[in-house]
Amino acid sequence: MRRRPVLTGLAALAMAFLLGPILLVAATAFTAGDTIEFPPQGLSTKWFAKALAHEPFRGALTTSLLVAAGGTAIALAVGIPAALVLQRRRFRGRGAAEALFLSPAIVPELVLGFALFQQLMVTMRITALGALLIGHSVLLLPYAVRVTGASLALSDPALEEAGRGLGAGPFRTFFHITLPVMMPGIVSAAMLSFLTSFNNVPLSLLLNGPGVSTLPVEMLHYVEFSFDPVVAAVSTLLLGATVLIALVTERLVGFNKVFSQ
Amino acid sequence: MLLSRRAAGLLLVPGLALVAFGFLYPFAVTLFAPPAAEDPNVLGKLGGMLGDGYVLEVVARTIRVAVTTTACCLLLGFPVAYMISRAPQRRRGLLLALAIFPLLLSTVVRTFSWLVILGRNGLISTILNDLRLADGAQLLYTEFALVAGLTQLFTPIVILTSYSSLSHVDEALEEAARGLGAGPGKAFRQVVLPLALPGVLVGATLAFAGAITAFTTPLLLGGTRNRTLATLLYDYANVKLDWGGASAIALIMTALVLAAAVASGRLSKAGAV
Repeated sequence: MRRRPVLTGLAALAMAFLLGPILLVAATAFTAGDTIEFPPQGLSTKWFAKALAHEPFRGALTTSLLVAAGGTAIALAVGIPAALVLQRRRFRGRGAAEALFLSPAIVPELVLGFALFQQLMVTMRITALGALLIGHSVLLLPYAVRVTGASLALSDPALEEAGRGLGAGPFRTFFHITLPVMMPGIVSAAMLSFLTSFNNVPLSLLLNGPGVSTLPVEMLHYVEFSFDPVVAAVSTLLLGATVLIALVTERLVGFNKVFSQ
Repeated sequence: MLLSRRAAGLLLVPGLALVAFGFLYPFAVTLFAPPAAEDPNVLGKLGGMLGDGYVLEVVARTIRVAVTTTACCLLLGFPVAYMISRAPQRRRGLLLALAIFPLLLSTVVRTFSWLVILGRNGLISTILNDLRLADGAQLLYTEFALVAGLTQLFTPIVILTSYSSLSHVDEALEEAARGLGAGPGKAFRQVVLPLALPGVLVGATLAFAGAITAFTTPLLLGGTRNRTLATLLYDYANVKLDWGGASAIALIMTALVLAAAVASGRLSKAGAV
C-alpha cells in the first residue's frame, strides 16, 4: 500500500466535515446560556428538560411515530407480495410493473406532498393523518419492493419448488421457506423505511391539520422563529436514538449490508 | 411456475392501487389540471413564470447551487470512498459505517448544526472575532451557507455509491498499471477512475437531484434572500395560496430532476462503450 498524502488529507477533511457539525450540536445542547453559541456558556441540562416539556413536540412525536410505524407496515404489506411476483414470475410488462413500483422515488418529495395536499386534503377532504399515512406508504414502497426483492433475488427458487414438490401448499411454502429467506431484507427495509419516514420533511410539510404535524416539521418551524437551544437538545436526543437503532441493526443484519442493496 | 397467473395478479393489485391512488393520480392532476386552483391552466401559468425575472433568478440559483454542491460532494466523497476501499479489511466496515451514518440522521438536525457553526455567536464568527479578523461577518443566509449545508447532506451518498463501484475494482489492476510504468496519478486517472465511474455517476445524480429538491437547507440557511425552487414552491402553496403557480414550479422542479436522471443514464451508457 502506497502513501497518498493529498488523498488522505482530503479524506480526513471530509470525515471531519461530515461528523464534526453533528458533534457540535450535541455540545451546544448542554449550554447553561440562553442562545445557540459555541463555545457553550457553562454546563446544564435545562434545555433537555424544556424540550421534553414542550407540548407541540410531544404531540408531534406521537404523530411521527404513528406515521412511521403505519407507513412502514403498509409499505411492507403491499411491497413484499409485489417483490415476490416481480422476482419469481417472468411475465410481459414485468419491467413496466417494476418501474411503476419504483416511480415514487424519482419525483421530488415536496412535489408529491403538494399533490397529496391538493387532491387528498383539499379536494377529497381526507384528514391530515390519513394523507400522511398514504403519502408515507407511497414514499416507502420503492424501498420495500427493492430491498426485500434483493434478498429474494439472492435466494434459490429451487427451495420453494422443493417445498411444493414435497406436498406443502402455497401458503405453507411462503411462511416456512420464502419468508425466512427474505427476513434480512425485511429487517433492512423496515429499518430504512422507519427512519426515512420519521425524518421526512418535504412530504409532511404541507400535510398538517389542527394538532397534527410531524416532529421534524415542528422542529423546523421552531428554529425558523427562535434561536434558543431547545432544538439542539431535541437533536441530541434524536442523535442518541439513531445511534441506538444503528447498533441494533448492526447486531441483526449488519449495518453496512442495509445500504448495499 | 410457483405462482399462478391469478395469484400473481392478486398479489400485485394492492401495491398498484397504492401507487395509482397515492402517487400517479394526485401527481398528474396537480401538475397539469389542478381543480382547486383558481386558474387551472398550469401551462399558461408556466409560460408567464418563465418570463418573470425573479422566477428565472430563482431557477438559475437553484441550478448553480446544485452544480456547486455536486462538485463539492464528489471532491470530498470520492477520496473517502477510495481510502475506505483500500483500507485494511478489518477497518473498512467501521469507516464505511461512520461515513454513511449521517444519512440516518434527520436533515433538520444536520442543517441545524450549520446554524451553530455559521450563526452570529457560532463557531466561525467567534474565531474571527477572537482573531480580530472580522466583526460580525454574515455567513448565514448566503449561497455559501447553502452549498456547505447541502454538501454535508449529500456527500455520504456519493461515498456509498462510489465505494460500491470501487470495492469491485481489483487493486491488482492498479498495481499492474504501476508495474508497467504509469505514475500513481496516471494509474489512478486511467485505471481506477474509469472503472469507478458508474458508481460515481449515480452518486452525482442523486446529489444533484437532492440539492435541486432540498427544502430544509434553503429554508434555514438560505433565508428569504436566497430562495430556491423548493422554498418558492412552499411560498406559493402555503403563503400566497397561488396553487396554479405552485403547480407550475412543481413542473419545473420535476423536469429538472428527470432531465438529470436521463442525462446520467446516457453518460453511463456512453462510458460503458
